[in-house]
Amino acid sequence: MPKQKNPFWSFFASVYLTITLLVFTVVLSIVGTFIPQQDAAREFAQGIPPGLASFLQTMQAFDLFHSVWFFLLMLLLSLNLIVCSLNRWPLTWKQFRGAPLSGEEGLFRGLSPERIFLCDENVGTMTGRMEGLLNRKYRKISKTQEKEDAVIIYVERGRYSRFAVYVVHLSLQLLILGALMGAFWGWEGYVNIGEGETADAIDLKGGKGAKALPFTIRCDKFIVEFYKNGAPKTYRSDLTFLKDGKTIYQGPLLVNHPVSLAGVRVYQASYGSSPDGRASLAFVRAGQEEKIIKVGPGESFSLPEKEGTVQVVRLEENLMQMGPAVKILIRSGQGEVSFWVFLHIDKIREMNPGVTEQVPMFNPSLFKPYVFALKGMEERYYTGLQVSRDPGAPLMAAAAVLMILGLMGTFFSSHRRIWIKIQQLGGKTRISVAARTNKHPVVLEREVRQLAEKIKISLEKGST
Amino acid sequence: MTNTMILSWVTFLYFGAFVFYLFRLVFGKELWGKAAFYSVLGGLGAHTLGLLLRWKESYSLGIGHAPLSNFYESLIFFAWALVLLYVIVEWRIKNRSLGVFVLPVAFLLMAFASLAPNISNRIQPLVPALQSNWLTSHVVTCFMGYAAFTVAFAIGIMYFLRNIPLFGFIPEGDILDELMYQHAVLGFVFLTLGIMTGSVWAHYAWGSYWSWDPKETWSLITWLIYAVMLHARYVRGWKGKRMAVLAIVGFAAVLFTYLGVNYLPGLHSYLQS
Repeated sequence: MPKQKNPFWSFFASVYLTITLLVFTVVLSIVGTFIPQQDAAREFAQGIPPGLASFLQTMQAFDLFHSVWFFLLMLLLSLNLIVCSLNRWPLTWKQFRGAPLSGEEGLFRGLSPERIFLCDENVGTMTGRMEGLLNRKYRKISKTQEKEDAVIIYVERGRYSRFAVYVVHLSLQLLILGALMGAFWGWEGYVNIGEGETADAIDLKGGKGAKALPFTIRCDKFIVEFYKNGAPKTYRSDLTFLKDGKTIYQGPLLVNHPVSLAGVRVYQASYGSSPDGRASLAFVRAGQEEKIIKVGPGESFSLPEKEGTVQVVRLEENLMQMGPAVKILIRSGQGEVSFWVFLHIDKIREMNPGVTEQVPMFNPSLFKPYVFALKGMEERYYTGLQVSRDPGAPLMAAAAVLMILGLMGTFFSSHRRIWIKIQQLGGKTRISVAARTNKHPVVLEREVRQLAEKIKISLEKGST
Repeated sequence: MTNTMILSWVTFLYFGAFVFYLFRLVFGKELWGKAAFYSVLGGLGAHTLGLLLRWKESYSLGIGHAPLSNFYESLIFFAWALVLLYVIVEWRIKNRSLGVFVLPVAFLLMAFASLAPNISNRIQPLVPALQSNWLTSHVVTCFMGYAAFTVAFAIGIMYFLRNIPLFGFIPEGDILDELMYQHAVLGFVFLTLGIMTGSVWAHYAWGSYWSWDPKETWSLITWLIYAVMLHARYVRGWKGKRMAVLAIVGFAAVLFTYLGVNYLPGLHSYLQS
């Protein structure tokens, strides 16, 4: 190739460059696992000297896998691969196309005695017999007349495996391309949606601002189930996707089962319960039935017979380590009275006998003749959704399939070529078998041994 | 639980096999080699039974899943894959010298699984992220890869020790070299499959096929080291000592990918229980 004299070309055609680039990639990756990256980096940067932090920041060490360094390495590797492949291509093509019928110089020299057979039949008969032996296993049998009294038969297998390594390298190019597409046109973000609420935008990862979605997501319900041992069993959001007020999709979202809509994928990522949920408050007037009402902070309701109004002033998940509690304010003809109602009041009384008498603020029967009780906190869940779009993903999938096919061809297949020379030598016919392979000599050895075995049997049969 | 009892017995069988392989080296009697191989076979049989029973027990607990879901189960499967590969190698090359290098690794994996205080051998239900069909294919391919790399590593160590008189009947360098290369290739293909199945799974579970989580990054590092090793052989014709060094370096990366990264924060936290 004329290009070989070009210094740029020969620089990129070197396998040493490949190995150097791979080693650099390894080093950079190791550094990237020891220096906290992206979101974790912010906290880390605060704990180290500011000079060092700003140096690392400038070096893009806090996002190494999206840094100029990494990008440059991938670019060089990609160029290196292309040039190496182009450089080797003509030779591969020649080896693929050209069936050197007579083989190379000295092909039949120094053959082991097990590869040479002698018999009495003439060259023509033996050529026919050999062809008969071969055509069961080899698709194409080529034959040439060498000199006047010698014939060479040529067969081959696994010719296409010579391209396998190019397939692997092509898959790597696609991988790099797919990753770039994802990096440039893809995005990833999160959104928390409370039950009954909607969202039409998400927060992009890494604090890159908000992004509007092509639809609105409504969380109708969030369900979390646990196993007996307390480990989570199911996270499930019932979602409705709306566009221009119309439902375009409705269904459950589970971990491992994302919903894909309008090129955007939505994942069940996390959940939580909002602290400003509602309380389930019970009250009973002496001698009457218990009533339960659900109230949120600031809301109020009237007691029967206009005996007063109850307002929920505060709602606490865990008040003074004594569990959930709500503070209520009751306004009536006698004025205002305010106290806490605990969920675990029985337990609190047991642990601190007489507490409700000593601390009137903790007495649920302070407003006579009523007794209040907290039945539970109405937990309102929110679902944490991850939303992403990656236009490079289909390319990555194609690259993965290609890579596996390519690796199979590279490692488990080889181009095996076998020549059988049949020639007249001093009244006898001599059959010699020579073979070459581009890799895995053991496999070829086995194949030739089997062939030699067949020839031997055929000759023994023929002579009897 | 029957399965953990069987599996702890397997640990002793592998230890016994290791001792027998050692005796074979020291006393030079093939009898010890035979005893060792039968211990390995017995161990592998019981190991397989233990795994199957554990699988069945998980179903009778109502949380049925393949025994590949936590650190204990991964160690047990790793050892199983390693011994299986070893049996195939011994049968293929008709030489027992490799056993003295592979069996101690299998024994250590099993012993670590049974004895380490913070490893739970209980059958645990699958948390939502693990409830995927990709779990089995991901774990099986990764650990088959690790096992093949471990065999390549053992051969690499053997390569350096083959000139010590005690290890007199180690196969010659060329056979070792070829065998080491074959296992590096096997491991490489399995690791590639492991990374791919993991990526597909992450695409469904975590919302991104690649997140530069430390375990992902280290699996890439391991993959690159073996890629360098295979290129050095294919293109530059590296053989022998240099390949043995790379097999050992690669195995160090495997160990870090498997165990080391647990000390770094990341997404693959299932292994910490």
